[in-house]
Amino acid sequence: MPVIDIIFRVDEICKKYDKYDIDKQRELGASGDDAFSRLYTSIDSDIEAVLRKAELASTEKNRAAAVAMNAEVRRTKARLAEDVVKLQKLAVKKVKGLTREEQESRCDLVISLADRIQVIPDGNEHAAKQASNDWGGGASAPNKNIKFDMSEEDMDDGFFQESEESSQFRQEYEMRKKKQDEGLDVISEGLDALKNLARDMNEELDKQVPLMEEMETKVDGATSDLKNTNVRLKKQLVQMRSSRNFCIDIVLLCVVLGIVSYIYK
Amino acid sequence: MSSDPDKMMSKADKMTKLTLTRWSADWRGATELYEQAANGFRASNKYEKAKVALEKASKGQEMQASPWDAAKHMESAAALAQKLSIWNEVADFYRKASELYIECGRAQPASDALGKAARALEDVKPDDAIQLYTDACEILEEDGRDQMAFDLYRACANVYIKLEKFTDAATFFLRLGVAADKCDATNSQCKAYLSAIIVYLYAHDLKQAEKCYNDCSQIDAFMKSDQSRSASRLLTAYNEGDIEEIKKVASSSTVSNLDHSIIKLARKLPTGDVTAIQMNTNDDLDEDDLT
Repeated sequence: MPVIDIIFRVDEICKKYDKYDIDKQRELGASGDDAFSRLYTSIDSDIEAVLRKAELASTEKNRAAAVAMNAEVRRTKARLAEDVVKLQKLAVKKVKGLTREEQESRCDLVISLADRIQVIPDGNEHAAKQASNDWGGGASAPNKNIKFDMSEEDMDDGFFQESEESSQFRQEYEMRKKKQDEGLDVISEGLDALKNLARDMNEELDKQVPLMEEMETKVDGATSDLKNTNVRLKKQLVQMRSSRNFCIDIVLLCVVLGIVSYIYK
Repeated sequence: MSSDPDKMMSKADKMTKLTLTRWSADWRGATELYEQAANGFRASNKYEKAKVALEKASKGQEMQASPWDAAKHMESAAALAQKLSIWNEVADFYRKASELYIECGRAQPASDALGKAARALEDVKPDDAIQLYTDACEILEEDGRDQMAFDLYRACANVYIKLEKFTDAATFFLRLGVAADKCDATNSQCKAYLSAIIVYLYAHDLKQAEKCYNDCSQIDAFMKSDQSRSASRLLTAYNEGDIEEIKKVASSSTVSNLDHSIIKLARKLPTGDVTAIQMNTNDDLDEDDLT
């Protein structure tokens, strides 16, 4: 069948069943003179918005953002629940120009609305569903929603059992910690030996200090003795050298030697 | 002068003997001859004769009022006697040398001489060795040089340990502690106290060891040290009868820094039955139990 025919047929069917289209009716009736329909439409649109948010939250990767969104969803749910209560009161009120069936249908509408609000996912059933699975069977997707509400369905056996991943991680952590401890032990032994050596050296040096001082005094004494001796020796030499006779003696000795060698040559 | 040492010896002897022709002995000449003779004998490995020559040379120097040279000759004579294994002469000669050094006013060489004597006699005559060590330590302490005495105390305590006289050994370690305290040598002091405690434990005298520990804890320097921690761990391990803990402390680095003989003792701990001590403490509890 050609496409255009299909489109026309769809339009016809829609027009035929228009009266069952709640949204359209709502729009038609929402020019709404009574409080009920106004409140009803507003709650409806809110529910739609919350559902969309809930969908976003369930697909959200970032856990913190998911938690925030779920919290928002829960808050809106609570607010909507209060509004539903108000709506119920309005529904019971008798309004002008309203048939009895319509009145009953309003009550049903309110109840259905309340159910719809309850059904909105806010991350809680997610946790309950996963907790009821056996985690020991290796749940591949860990729970992304970190919650602290202690609802009963969470506290069954599977909840506190560790997964393979976490036990492996713990083993690796223990092994690394042991290796670190061994390394630190070796270092501490080395440091002990160093400390002992350093202290012994310190004591030995302390022992040597008075010996050095004694040596210093002795050496000082020896230097002063030497200085005295040197001064005296110098005086003697000066005495000897400055005498003219000494030079004359040497000259004459050379002359005599020269004469003797001449004679004997 | 003939180069024959024997002839020199006889000549020197003649010089020192007083006869009708000789009214005063010529010590200077004699000493020279004696020294030369001694060198000659040593070169020809006649140690007995060399020793005798050195003795006489020393006597000569003494007569010439040079105690230093006399002491030096005495020490050489003693070393030769050691080579010949004439032990009582060794002790005598070193003692004489030490006295001569003290005459010079030099305490350190005096105690060194006694120390050398003691070391020579350690294996052969340990009691004499101990006496020599003690005298050496006293000489140093009198002179106020306690630090030099540490090694002597340690050597003496080792001799006692070899003789298995453990209380005496521990006493010497405590004396070491006192000497160290005077010089503010805290490391040596703490090590000495720990050694004393280990010696007591080796002798299986737990009460004495605990008393020793309590006494030593009065001293601040010991209280703050690693050695006191090791000591307390050891004593608690003994009280609880925990053999593993004892072995662990004995092989720890603090104990391994002590003397070799102490390390050997520590490795052999615990001696005797440690569990017996535990039973006694349990009995005490029952007595105090009022029900």
